[in-house]
Amino acid sequence: MDVAEFRREVNAWLDAHDAELAPPFAGTGTLDERVTQMRRTNAALYDAGWMRWGWPERVGGYGGSPMLRTELGAAMCGRGLADPGIYSLVEVLAPTVIDFAPPELAATVVPRLLSGAEMWCQGFSEPGSGSDLASIGCRAVPDGDPETADRWIVNGQKVWTSLAQYADRCVLLTRTGTAEARHRGITAFFVDMDTPGITVSPIEMINGDLEFTEVFFDDVAVPADRMLGAPNGGWAVAMSILPYERSSCFWQRIAYLYRRLQLLVDAVPAGERAAHLVGEAFLQLYALRARSRATQHRLAAGEALGAETSVDKILVATAEQTLYDTIRTLRPGVMELDDGLEGETWRFEYLYSRAATIYGGTAEVQRNIVARRLLDLGDE
Amino acid sequence: MDAGERALLAATVGDAIAAIAAEGGTADGALTELGWLEMLDAEPRDAVGIVFSALGAQHVTATVLDDVVAGALGIEPRAAVALLLSPYTTWAPPGRVDGGLLHASGVTTARVATADELVVAAEADGRLALATVPASAVTITPVAGIDPAAGLHAVEIGGAVASTVPLDLDAWDAAVAAGRRALAHQVAGACRTMLEQARAHALDRSQFGRPVARFQAVRHRLAEALVAVEALDAAVAAAWDEPGPVTAALAKAVAGRTARTVAAHCQQVLAGIGFTTEHPFHRYLKRTIALDGLLGSTDAIVADLGRLLIATRTVPTLVEL
Repeated sequence: MDVAEFRREVNAWLDAHDAELAPPFAGTGTLDERVTQMRRTNAALYDAGWMRWGWPERVGGYGGSPMLRTELGAAMCGRGLADPGIYSLVEVLAPTVIDFAPPELAATVVPRLLSGAEMWCQGFSEPGSGSDLASIGCRAVPDGDPETADRWIVNGQKVWTSLAQYADRCVLLTRTGTAEARHRGITAFFVDMDTPGITVSPIEMINGDLEFTEVFFDDVAVPADRMLGAPNGGWAVAMSILPYERSSCFWQRIAYLYRRLQLLVDAVPAGERAAHLVGEAFLQLYALRARSRATQHRLAAGEALGAETSVDKILVATAEQTLYDTIRTLRPGVMELDDGLEGETWRFEYLYSRAATIYGGTAEVQRNIVARRLLDLGDE
Repeated sequence: MDAGERALLAATVGDAIAAIAAEGGTADGALTELGWLEMLDAEPRDAVGIVFSALGAQHVTATVLDDVVAGALGIEPRAAVALLLSPYTTWAPPGRVDGGLLHASGVTTARVATADELVVAAEADGRLALATVPASAVTITPVAGIDPAAGLHAVEIGGAVASTVPLDLDAWDAAVAAGRRALAHQVAGACRTMLEQARAHALDRSQFGRPVARFQAVRHRLAEALVAVEALDAAVAAAWDEPGPVTAALAKAVAGRTARTVAAHCQQVLAGIGFTTEHPFHRYLKRTIALDGLLGSTDAIVADLGRLLIATRTVPTLVEL
């Protein structure tokens, strides 16, 4: 299906179904409410078929360009029907499972994710492994001979795991080689979260939300056929997330940020200072949109996305923080003191936006990548 | 034009402009010989993109902006016709026809000094007109300013007899947009060169026993500059994919902000040598500053975009996948 045609049809359908898809809560809502909203709307989108476009037929999709699902997410986020952070989990995790899980497993579980019947989480970061992901220590050892063992035993801890308290499965990175082997000693697994030995402990973020968790693994037995990719091939699994995280997910977040700027523009009194600040925020968002569009056309043309997506990542983080700084400046006292719905919403989002330069690879790590890989400046 | 033809044309134009950069002088003659006007007519995107990027990248002066704007106004571009741009930092039509006489003030490229005629978009009884006056009826003052080599001229017309034809407001907006796209390419070319100069310096210059390119503070400045340049390239491409006054305004404004960012980081990395006229960096810094005010300064465009959003209570998406 043609992308522009799909966009028109999706938006026409969403126009017709807006009332039933709209969140039943005002403002940001609680995390429980937002998760319920996502599962409910994803189920409706799956039943209507929209959620199946852009996914391969072997996992229950209708095929077509991945841009189709990008458009769907952008429409949902741009209309305020979905939270881009929660919505994007599908985009972050499903392509990896499709590429690296045994085909029968992918065919079983991906439709359940797309339809909102299941939620998954991403077990990557650890207390001692943030920016330096290749240093992870959460250990998996074969129960018996590594060649023939029918299960692996996992011990260790993950942190910053989004929405693990709701998750049915976890895409988990474990240490299977030596610490010195770094990225060559990591293996990925697809773990059922109801396996005995897994404990999830939410972390309260600065906006009061409990999206992040710590996940503890205590002698957790994982069947060998749940391995994603090859033994000690987990780094490729981890890196496979980047192309879609840095294209589709960004396009959806951009749609969401455009909506935020729209809300500011609806409320801000006219004036020279407002015009200048709104213009600057718009300029950054637009440049980001133009860049992200080019990135997705490269992906759709079959190019492998790599280090150059750090440029997109830096632009997203910068534009997002600029936008919320602008909202704070042009709506003085609202984010800071208003205890009504508007104040609560802007406060929640403003505080969340501070993380944009930290998650998914810090601003500094991105600049290191740009310097070494794109500018070819050599090692530090 | 396919990718291979485009690369060949870019190499040919680049070589010709490099030769001018080495010899001095303007690129107008060389571009005419290469068939610039035919290219502009047949393949405007490639012609403008390749020529203006090369002019920016190699710090070469030409007056071909007149051709781009004249063509968008429906006038056949030629070397004997100069075009009056709006006063520096602005983009309203620069003239006014009153009692049959043309009054105008604005800036031009160096073409005005040798042209036979000057074309001026002007308000006439609440409508727009395109007025043509002989160059002899115009007061022309070369402008040195921050970048004497840019060849800018100030023009004053205090009541000249002019022949006029009606002009649509849309045609003037389209002409401004065409000029802005060209200028954005030129600034992007200059930004790439500034970044390459700073990168080369960082790898070459040693302090504390190692190249300064190994210090993270230096690397991050260069990374910041590259991010800005990449975003500018995307904004300029989008202005061609979805041509219109707003995408062209955005491309020009992104170019202005990018030039400021890139120049600041690159000058800091170049440090002492970048503060001298012994290194070519200063030419690019001055050129991007001088270009910023043509057909609207970045500050003025940004404020205008903000006013548009607030007045219409709408954030336009402009580009889709």
